[in-house]
This record gives sequence, structure tokens and C-alpha cells, in this order.
Amino acid sequence: MDAAPGGTILRRVSESLRIPGIARPPEVEFSFDGRPLRAPVGESLAAALMAAGVRRLGEGPGSPRAAFCMMGTCQQCLVRVEGRLVQACLTPVRAGLRVGPA
Amino acid sequence: MFDVAVLGAGPAGMAAATEAARRGGRVVLLEESPQPGGQVYRAAPPGFVVPEDADKRAGDALRAALAGSGAEIRTGHRVWGLGGGPLVPQGSPPAPFRVDALAEGAPVTLEARALVLCPGTHERIIPFPGWTLPGVIGLAAATILLKAQGVLPGRRVLVAGAGPLLYAVAAKLHKAGAEVVAMADLATRAEWARALPALAARPDLLARGAAWRAALASRSVPVLAGARVAAAEGGGALERVRIVTATGQTESFDCDALCIGHGLVPATEATRLFRAAHRYDRAAGGWVPVLDADRRTSVKLLYVAGDGGGVRGAAAAPAAGRLAALAALTDLGILSGRAHARARWRPWAEHWRAARTGAAMARMMALRPALVSAIPPETVVCRCEGVTRAEIEAALDDGAAEMNQLKQFTRCGMGPCQGRLCGEAAAELVAIRVGGREHAGFATGRMPLRPVPMEALLGEFDYADIPVPKPAPI
Amino acid sequence: MGCSTALHLARGGMQVALLDRGAICREASGVNAGTLTMQMTRAALIPYALRAHEMWLRMPEWCDGGDVLAVSCPGLSVAFTEHEAAMLEERAHFRRQAGAPIELVSGGRAMEIEPGLSDRVLLAGHCPIDGFTSAYLTGRAFRPALLNAGVALFEGRGVRGVEQAADGFTLDTVAGPLRARRIVLAGGVWLEEMAGWLGVHLPIKVLINQLVVTERIRPVMRTVLGVASGLLSLKQYANGTVLIGGGWQGIGDRARGGLAVRAENLQGNIRLAAHTVPALRDARVVRAWLGLEAETADALPAIGPIPGVPDAWIIGSVHSGYTSGPYFGKLLAQAVLGEAPELPLFPIDRLLAKELA
Repeated sequence: MDAAPGGTILRRVSESLRIPGIARPPEVEFSFDGRPLRAPVGESLAAALMAAGVRRLGEGPGSPRAAFCMMGTCQQCLVRVEGRLVQACLTPVRAGLRVGPA
Repeated sequence: MFDVAVLGAGPAGMAAATEAARRGGRVVLLEESPQPGGQVYRAAPPGFVVPEDADKRAGDALRAALAGSGAEIRTGHRVWGLGGGPLVPQGSPPAPFRVDALAEGAPVTLEARALVLCPGTHERIIPFPGWTLPGVIGLAAATILLKAQGVLPGRRVLVAGAGPLLYAVAAKLHKAGAEVVAMADLATRAEWARALPALAARPDLLARGAAWRAALASRSVPVLAGARVAAAEGGGALERVRIVTATGQTESFDCDALCIGHGLVPATEATRLFRAAHRYDRAAGGWVPVLDADRRTSVKLLYVAGDGGGVRGAAAAPAAGRLAALAALTDLGILSGRAHARARWRPWAEHWRAARTGAAMARMMALRPALVSAIPPETVVCRCEGVTRAEIEAALDDGAAEMNQLKQFTRCGMGPCQGRLCGEAAAELVAIRVGGREHAGFATGRMPLRPVPMEALLGEFDYADIPVPKPAPI
Repeated sequence: MGCSTALHLARGGMQVALLDRGAICREASGVNAGTLTMQMTRAALIPYALRAHEMWLRMPEWCDGGDVLAVSCPGLSVAFTEHEAAMLEERAHFRRQAGAPIELVSGGRAMEIEPGLSDRVLLAGHCPIDGFTSAYLTGRAFRPALLNAGVALFEGRGVRGVEQAADGFTLDTVAGPLRARRIVLAGGVWLEEMAGWLGVHLPIKVLINQLVVTERIRPVMRTVLGVASGLLSLKQYANGTVLIGGGWQGIGDRARGGLAVRAENLQGNIRLAAHTVPALRDARVVRAWLGLEAETADALPAIGPIPGVPDAWIIGSVHSGYTSGPYFGKLLAQAVLGEAPELPLFPIDRLLAKELA
């Protein structure tokens, strides 16, 4: 009788890239390129986008841009948040954040 | 005016600020992240509760000591400008150091009599075909994702590169539920065997390493020794990775993430800006500032502690931070020479012990020239500017003989990462032609240390406020 | 200027050695803003600048394919205040008289020419043939032509002094002595010291110009912009980066080179830029650097023979000298080769006389 819900949970966990066993703040809604997404408030925007399956963040000269160093060095995760250029890896998720390609 | 400004709140910076403040200095610690910890002890965002581990405990201990030390802690401060000290007009007396930062998008300027730089490292990733595909991330990036964010870089992950981080990331991925499809270690088994005696000094690390290996073995993860990534492949994102094994065979692995790192490079932007003396030390990660035993640079009242002064690992960093703090206080006259002599021996001995293991690990992570030779001509080396190896070689054919010239000839390193990502590969390509990294040199340190939004620097102003000097004659 | 002189001398049939203590075009010519504008050029130099403008644009043709990606585009020098408007009118008048095709246009018309421009402009000087280069390519652009022309290129060969010998000069270089029949000094801000080797005292003022560049952004402008006072040069390159200059001063000197950017001058410079092109507020500053610019007492060039020293010549030291540089080199080469220069040189006697008086 546990099989059905257990299976559901297992599938959900295996689909999510968020590691189980970590207590997180409540999820909030934000958007990338108009597409609504959810993430725990305070998670880094780069991690949240990755967890949401958004990997390609823009186009650089000669190659696509995607989160790469996660520590503010490589500048590959540059995105536009509320009209301003920011590095996604240094920006915490907040409710209602409108994010788009740089 | 502060007595000591410490830049960077990793283990070295936290310990330096703690020590200097406890001994009576007026200390400020500046850090870009929201919380102290640095990359190795990076704290999870507020409200995230991650399971305890050895790193978290070590980080929490340093954070607790710092919090009680009396040092002014300024997190969320992105330092973009440094000045003063020796950077004054000819004939002017030495000035205090000036630190320009952005906090919440607003400019902040601080002054300090002494500066302790704890900039840490950035990761070396030597380009290979497909390294720019979404799904390829750094090993250090993977540790941040896993430890501080609790997010997997993918479901099926290949881990590749060099150094102990490789095993740490693979084991963590595995534990967190990802499938580690393979691990490609550049080091051969013989190299690890040679490093063992130095590791024996740290049974805790040795045990941790053994546990990691056991975890991988239990899931029969293929661990390929002496292997390198030949290419990452996929359409819009990573789909598979091709590995060249020690025997020269190619193996292909389907995966949606590749975590790869080829070692750590000391961040020397600030010491280059101050024109401190540097030397090239391949085993310590690359160009490092010349330091004395107390972490003094060649510039008066400027100190470097932690991996930014040469890779020696997180265990050695706090002791180096304390040495720098003690030297700074002594040079400022806050601590007497006798008190200094009494206080320094303990951190000195501690540093010596920890640095031995750290140095062995750093050697494993040293740049491997074969990786650079293997870069195909059409592969992008400088990602910010889209400069390929072929374009670099053409510039070298045209006579570029050192890094600043290469930058001018190709724009390699001129983009927003300011050469942090491409610098190692580019410098090595120059070095092949000019007879070594010493001759290839390094790009001159420039402000801003990180890209700064124009808006933040502009502030509110009227046109009449702009101090326009007298125009040139007609 | 040294490269252009050497190239034209070699093509004129002379055997030329070009010595640089570092690499060619690594100082002022390789790090300046690359502005090709009549509106920051001194009136007396307009005829030279017009010819040099043409040379930069056609560089691949006369320089064996060497290219600094020169672009010709309209230039605007703008005034935001009545005072600046008056200054602009006066300056445009002098430059027009000297041959620069500068017309004064209203703020509204200026915005048609440059849609990125601020709507606060009162008056603008419009020159349809301004432009810019990628100055960092200058050394790479000259090198193949120099080698093809047979110039012996000695880079990393500093000269410590020069002695007059019976039939020419002996150069004391870091790699031993070198003999030459004639000598041309082309050392920018270091000309004062170099002229001193030959017993001539030529005072040279050193400017430490700050430059600022943004990362690649969407197209926000299509002209080269300045302000009436001359303290701004602004342009966007094809790759999207915007270069902000204008001569704001940093810290440095002849001996140590450019040492440090002054944060307050960086702010003044970018405020002026963002006031002129408001869309720049959105950009990020990636890098600021310093270039040393030389200036003589009257801010006109030093180009001609060195008085009292036969077969010794000098070239350099001119405010906004990059614009006219290749043409100046060509002119001096003509003189050294014994031809009559197309346009008059700028002999340094006037500067030495002033010193004696």
C-alpha cells in the first residue's frame, strides 16, 4: 500500500536536482525569460536555474554562456535581473524576480 | 582609518582578522559573499540546514572565533579598487591603503594602514573541445553547488581532472544520489603513491580519501587513472564525454554533467596591482607573490595569507593568516618585537606541518603542459572574447612575446573575466614559444578588480558637479 | 611615429634599425583611445590630421595588410551649457578655418546623427569624417610591413645613451653598442631624457591619461563623441565594448609609467560619458588603464632636425598625436631622405629658444 506514494516520491526526488535531506526555506516564484519557475528563497539564482533545467543563459562570442565557476569569477552566468546586469551565482532568489538573458 | 584591512573571509582571512583584532588592532574584514567562509568553508544561504561534516565544523569554528574577536565584518562587499600604499605620485609620502568596494550596489571607501590579502584561488580549467557546452562546470563549482546549495549539477555525472577535489566531488555526488558514470584522474597511480608519505602526516585526510575511494568502488564507478577528457559533446548541451585513457584508448560515457578541474591558481590580481615582486612556482599553482616567512610581500605593510600566496590548502591557511596578522601588528608598532617572537612560533610550526601535506596536494594539481599541447586549433581558449588557439598561435607567429602583448594582439584576456579563465592556457602557449612562464610574464594588474556596474560608480550627480579641468589650447 | 618613420625610411632606400626597450607600440600608441577626430586636434594640425585620417583608413593598403580596424564615422563635440556652447563656436570656427569640415548643429539635429545622445545637448560640432581605430592592434599592424621593408627590428633592446662619432653615432644599448649614420629619436614622454644624450634640453610634460572600457553591450551609439571642453572621448566598437577616455589624469610618471587609476577621476570620466550617452548607465566597467602622453611647452609637435647635431632628428610629443602619427612619420622620413616634406615640419628650435630666454 506504500508502493504508489513511495514510487511517486522516488520519482519526484530522482527528477529534481535538489539533494534530499537538506532543510530549505519555502519556495517562491520567479521567472526566466517569462517562464515561471520556483526555488527556495535565498538559493543562488545560478543553482536555481540549473535545478530548473535552464542551463543556457545566453550567447557569448563563439560559445553559449552557462554557469561555470559558481564563485563570481568567470562571468559566464551574467543575466539581467529587473533590468540590471548581475552574476546569477552571486544573486539570491527572491519572490517575483524577473530574470532574462543579459 | 583601520589599522588592518583583511580582504577575503576564507580560512586565512577569518584567522587573520580574528588574530589582529584580539591583539588590539582596529580591524575590518571585507568579503564578497553574504557570509564568511570562503570557497572551502562556504556557508549555506540563510534558512538552509545542511548536514554536518568536517568542513562545516571547521568553518563554523573559524566563524565563531571571528564573531567574538571584535573585528568589523563587512560581508557582501565586492572590492573593485585598491590604491594608496606605494601607488602615490612621485615625491609623495607613502599613503594609507585605500579600498573601494560596492555594498548592495552602493560605493564604500575605506582606509587602512596595513592590508592583508587573502584572495584564495580560482580554478584552472585547460580548454578542450566542447568545454563551453552547458553542463560542463568546474570542480570547485561542483563543490559549491553540492555543499552550499544542495543542488546536483546533473543526474549522470562524469568527474575529471586532477587533485583531491576530484575524489571529494565524486564521493559527494554519489552520496547525494547522482550517478557518477566515471572518474577520469589525470594523475597516475604512481603519482598518488609518491604523494603518500606527505599525506601520512594527515591521517584524517588519508582516511577521508580512503572512504571516498571505497564509496566509488562499492558502486563500481570506473576510476580511470592517467586519463584525460578528449572532448565534451552534445547538441545544445552536454550529452557525452570522450576520455583518452592512460593506454591511449578512447572511451565514451553518456552524461548530462561534467565536473572538471585542473588545479587551483593563486589569485594575484591585487599584488600585481601594487606591483609587488612575484615569482613563478609551478608546484604552488603558478605566479605567486614573493613572501617572507611572516607573509610579508615586497611592498611595505602589504601581506598575503592563504592559497593566494601559493596553494597549500585549507588546513595551512589559518596559521598563515595569523602569521600575517602578527607581522602587520608588529610592523605597525602595535605589537612589540618580543611579543611577536613569542606569538609567532606556534602558528609558524602549525603552518609548517599543514603546508607539507598541502604542498603534496598542490603538486598533484600543478599545471600539466600536455593538456595545453592537446588543445585543438579551433577550440576557444578565451571564452569572453571568443579567441581560439589558432588565433593565439597566429599572434605568436606575428611576434607576440609576452602576455600583455598577446592580449593586445588577440583580445585574449580582455573580457569581463579579465583573463582568470583563459590566462593559464594562454600563458602556457606563450611560454612554449618564449622559453618558459617567467618570460611569458603575466598581464598587468588593472582596476576594477571585478567588473563594476557603471550605475553604482556614477551615483547621483548634477552635470555641474563634474570637475571638468581646463581645456587644452586650441 | 617611430614605426611610421622607420617604415618610410626603409621604403625610401635606407638601411634602418628600429630599437625599442620593450615591444613596438606598447606605450602611448598601443594603449590610447584610438580616436581619429578633428575636433580634439589643434587647429594648426588639422591639415596633418586629415591626411593621417586617410592613412589610418587605408592602412592595409600601404602597410602590407596591417590593420587597426579603422572606422570612419561622424564625430560630435557637444555642449551642455551656454558657456560650453560659446567655447564650441569659437573652437569650431578656428578648426573650420584650418580645413576641418565642422558644422555646428542643434541638439535636435545632433540626436538625429547620434540617436544615443542625451537630449540635454544645446549645440554640437559635427564633423562627418571623424572615426576611430583599435589602438591595441597598432604594433601588430606595423610589424609585418617593417620586416618586409627590411627594417632590423630590435625589441627589448633599451638604449642607455648615444655618442656622436666621426661618421654618425654609437648607441650604447643593453645588448652592446650599435653604430648608425643617422639617428631619429621617437621616444614619446622619454624624449626629454633622450634629447639630453645629445646635449639638448627639451622639456617634455607628461600626462597620465586614464582610459576606461565597458564589457560588450548592445549597440548604444554609432558616432565618436566628445564634449566642448575636450575632456571626453567616447566610441563603441563593433564588438560592443565602449571606450571612455578624454584625458582624465591618473597617478604615474616617466620613471614608473602609469601607476594607478584615480578612483575619483574614473568617476568624473564615466559621469561625463553617461551624461552624454545615458544608455551607458546600464553597462559594466571591465577595465581601466593608463597611457602616458607627452606634451611640449606650446602643445605643438617636436618634429625636425636636432639643432647643432647633424644627422640627428626628433619626432613626437604632441597632444592627440595618435591621430596624426603615421603622417608625421612619413613627413619626417621625407626630410631625412633629403626630400622636401609635403607639409612643414615642427622644428624644435622654438622650444629650445624659450628655454634659453
